[in-house]
Amino acid sequence: MGRMTTQENNDDRIALLQGTLDLLILKTLVLGPCHGQGVARLIQRQSEEVFFVDHGSLYLALQRLEDKNWIRAKWGVSENNRKARFYSLTPKGREQLVEKTGEWRRLTRAMDLILESSKGPQGEEA
Amino acid sequence: MVWRKRSTQDFAEEIKAHLELEADDLKQEGLSEDEARWQARRAFGNVRAAQERFYLKNRWAWWDKLLRDLRYGLRSMCQSPGFTVAAILTLALGVGANTAVFSVMNAVLLRSLPIANPQQVVYLHTSNAPRGTGTIDDKETLSYPVYDALRRQPDVLSDVIAIAGLSTDKVNVRIGAQPETAEGDMVSGNFFSALGVELARGRGFTSQEETDHALTTVISYSYWTRRFSRDPNVLGNTLYVKGVPFTVVGVTAEGFEGTEAGQSMDFWIPLQNRVEFNVLGNPPEKGELYQQDPTWWCLRLMGRLAPGVSREQAILRLQKVFQTAAYVGLGSPMAGEKPPVLSFADAKNFPGYDGMYGKPLRMLMAMVVLVLLIALTNVVMLLMARNAARQREFSLRLALGARRGELLRQLLTESLLLVVAAGALAWGFAQLATRMLGRWALIESSLAPDKTVLLFTLAVLAFAAVLFGLAPFRVAIAGGAELALKTSAATSSADAGKTRTGKTIVALQMALCLVLLVGGALLLRTLRNLENIPLGMQTDGLVVFGLNPQGLHPEAKLVSFYQEVQRRLRVLPGVESVTVMQARLGSWWSNNNNVMVDGKDPDAGKGKPTLVRSNDIGPDFFHTLGVPVVLGREFTDADNASSPYVAIVNELFAQRFLPNQNPLGHQVNGLVIVGVVKNHKYRSMDEEPIPMAWWDYAQAPEEGQMHVEMRVRGDAMAILPEVRKVVAQMDPDLPLIQPMLQRKQFERTISQQLMFARLGEFFGLLAVVLVATGLYGTLAYRVNMRTAEIGVRMAVGARRGQVVWMILKDSLMLTAIGVVIGVPLAMLVGHVLTSSLYGVTPWDAVSYLLAMAGVALVALAASAIPASRAANVDPLKALRSE
Repeated sequence: MGRMTTQENNDDRIALLQGTLDLLILKTLVLGPCHGQGVARLIQRQSEEVFFVDHGSLYLALQRLEDKNWIRAKWGVSENNRKARFYSLTPKGREQLVEKTGEWRRLTRAMDLILESSKGPQGEEA
Repeated sequence: MVWRKRSTQDFAEEIKAHLELEADDLKQEGLSEDEARWQARRAFGNVRAAQERFYLKNRWAWWDKLLRDLRYGLRSMCQSPGFTVAAILTLALGVGANTAVFSVMNAVLLRSLPIANPQQVVYLHTSNAPRGTGTIDDKETLSYPVYDALRRQPDVLSDVIAIAGLSTDKVNVRIGAQPETAEGDMVSGNFFSALGVELARGRGFTSQEETDHALTTVISYSYWTRRFSRDPNVLGNTLYVKGVPFTVVGVTAEGFEGTEAGQSMDFWIPLQNRVEFNVLGNPPEKGELYQQDPTWWCLRLMGRLAPGVSREQAILRLQKVFQTAAYVGLGSPMAGEKPPVLSFADAKNFPGYDGMYGKPLRMLMAMVVLVLLIALTNVVMLLMARNAARQREFSLRLALGARRGELLRQLLTESLLLVVAAGALAWGFAQLATRMLGRWALIESSLAPDKTVLLFTLAVLAFAAVLFGLAPFRVAIAGGAELALKTSAATSSADAGKTRTGKTIVALQMALCLVLLVGGALLLRTLRNLENIPLGMQTDGLVVFGLNPQGLHPEAKLVSFYQEVQRRLRVLPGVESVTVMQARLGSWWSNNNNVMVDGKDPDAGKGKPTLVRSNDIGPDFFHTLGVPVVLGREFTDADNASSPYVAIVNELFAQRFLPNQNPLGHQVNGLVIVGVVKNHKYRSMDEEPIPMAWWDYAQAPEEGQMHVEMRVRGDAMAILPEVRKVVAQMDPDLPLIQPMLQRKQFERTISQQLMFARLGEFFGLLAVVLVATGLYGTLAYRVNMRTAEIGVRMAVGARRGQVVWMILKDSLMLTAIGVVIGVPLAMLVGHVLTSSLYGVTPWDAVSYLLAMAGVALVALAASAIPASRAANVDPLKALRSE
């Protein structure tokens, strides 16, 4: 029984993170081709360790973006001579990055407006 | 979605690479080798879960799930083979019966002729033929002058098509050297073009070919297949019809079998004007063929409505033309005579069959739908019972994390397996049944299921599949995951609501069973009555066959031929008497004549001319049949062309036209009545008595074909080889036409009623078997569920009898409820059946009592075994099993 609940919660969290994770991946890849582990490290580092990326979800997200043809992948060799799958942005991915970034900006602005507003709900009703 | 380009191995490799890279990084950050590896793995989380999710994203996952469900379904079906076989057979029988009957109904009642725009095409019928005419069918055949007049009205009917039979049966044809028989029609030149019949090869006829009476022929697709093995070079071959060579110019497209109801035509020729091609092969009257003879109403006519003309308008504009043409060459109508009225009928595949087969077929359809309902509820009950037994399995699966959707999918897959297996079986069963139905109904044309029927069957099956998936789903999830933790079968299944549903279904099935049993009993009694209809003659030992000698002219030669046949047959050992007749008894055929009694029309002034049925017969006729001669004598060898012309009438004739006087010595059509015989059957078994007159064939020989009737001691059919020898001595090329027992010949006239009654009985019985198995399954299951309860009861002192009674009481209550619901329903059904019954009322008490007894018997039989099994439960064992 307990397990069933956990599973469902897991699904919820992925759904919540999905859009954000996609955007972060696209943003990371703007700097140039990179393998999955590199993407994870970069996100973690650049967010000053606030985001901890679930690696399993990351690879599924990469796969999803690849399916949507926003990024493409190729096996190559890493700087320390290990085999790795390198991802890079497609033109379609670049467009999406611009669009998603705009969306995110609007969202955060709206969130800020609400969170920083000084008016209480009673005031509006009156 | 697109096909996944990436394999799971590739994904796994990427993860492996990730772990190595991460470990490298961690090592650089100062961790030990092992520590780094462990950290990398920990940071990644569940590798297997990621791989599984990657795998599930794969679009093949659903297929994989389906395969898994199918395998699981098959396994669980194999685990309970009894259930599987019962469910599949029940469903196959139910669906198969429906498909078969629907297929026949579709072919006979619904399907149109396979022609272009059939809704514009009509059959031309008349209310009656004018006096002084001869017809093939008094409503459906018209005269040549009528055809000629109507086709001159192209703004009403753009085309009028004439169809004339070459023979009452098959005609003699020849392709190579060997003579054979085939079915053919003589048709107007516009037959194929106006109807819009498609041709597989060659061409149809032209109007010029009708005018020229061209010696060309179009053959049907099935004849082409059967006789020419679809030879692509068939065009140009010669088909000899009655010895006349016709050139094959076309082959019709598959599916077109002509315009004669229930018959499958082999070939068509343009209208001819030779003596041997007079309609039905009749000798020309006063030297006139059908084209010149206005009294021979022998053509079937069809018309195609001109564009923009409705049927009503067409009738209105043609009526006058028709009534004028009807009297061409007949003189003006007598005062008070009702003129014939033209009407239209749909261009159905089986014109006119609606009247004869419509009601029985619809009844049959209703019956098989009931059977299907019973079959469906049966399988649902079986499924619910089985899945209730599987409730723990479902609960366990729920507890292990299966979702409801997955359970539903599993159940739907299992139901699909059942339905597909049953559907395949049902289709095969229906093909077989359709063929049998066709044979019993004496229908030659194809009744095979078509696309409409397939759709119908698929719809029924789809409905069944969803029903079978959904119904047990409720039961399956009712237990919930908690049930897996419970241990007692008794506590888990004693759900009051569920048993109530089960009881309702059982009671309803009882009611349906009663309805079908009443219907079956009524039909059974009808069958008995039909079989015991008094024919007014002794049919035991009567055998009949036809002879059709060719080229015996003048008529005197024909008479002496038949006299010689009779003389030679009479001396065969075992033969009691021999006679001849022109129309075969019990073959629907009859001569219908207007009669004058003592020079007057006895019914004059009553509007309609007096019709009397008559037959030309030989000497010793009534003695041979065993029909008593009430007054006077029958014909003897002494009556011949040179002696005074004589007639015999039946009692009804005498009562109707010569009441209260001695009929002997009076005249019918100028012939002296010398005898009166008892009423007996002539055309068919279920006819009402009709006024009849008999003429001596020796005094009025008409055509070559006669039928010989023989009374034989012992096995009547066993005489036939001897008869063949005798006939061959006289004419080596002369076959015996349709030799059979006279009794069988008569039974053919009620074959439709017999078939319906037999089928009704069959489906009644099928329903009873289905209900019995269903009840048995349900009751046995319910008793099974109560094993623990029974054990407890017996442990605390209940006696065997008490336990048995407890179980029986249950099903007897249900029977009683079923009977209460069923009786009014059955009365309704009986009322609808009225027209199909013979000699029994729809409220026949015996039938109802029989049906009730039947239902009670089924209930008792189905409960007795589970009840006695319940009573044999060892209380200790029952309790221990908990």
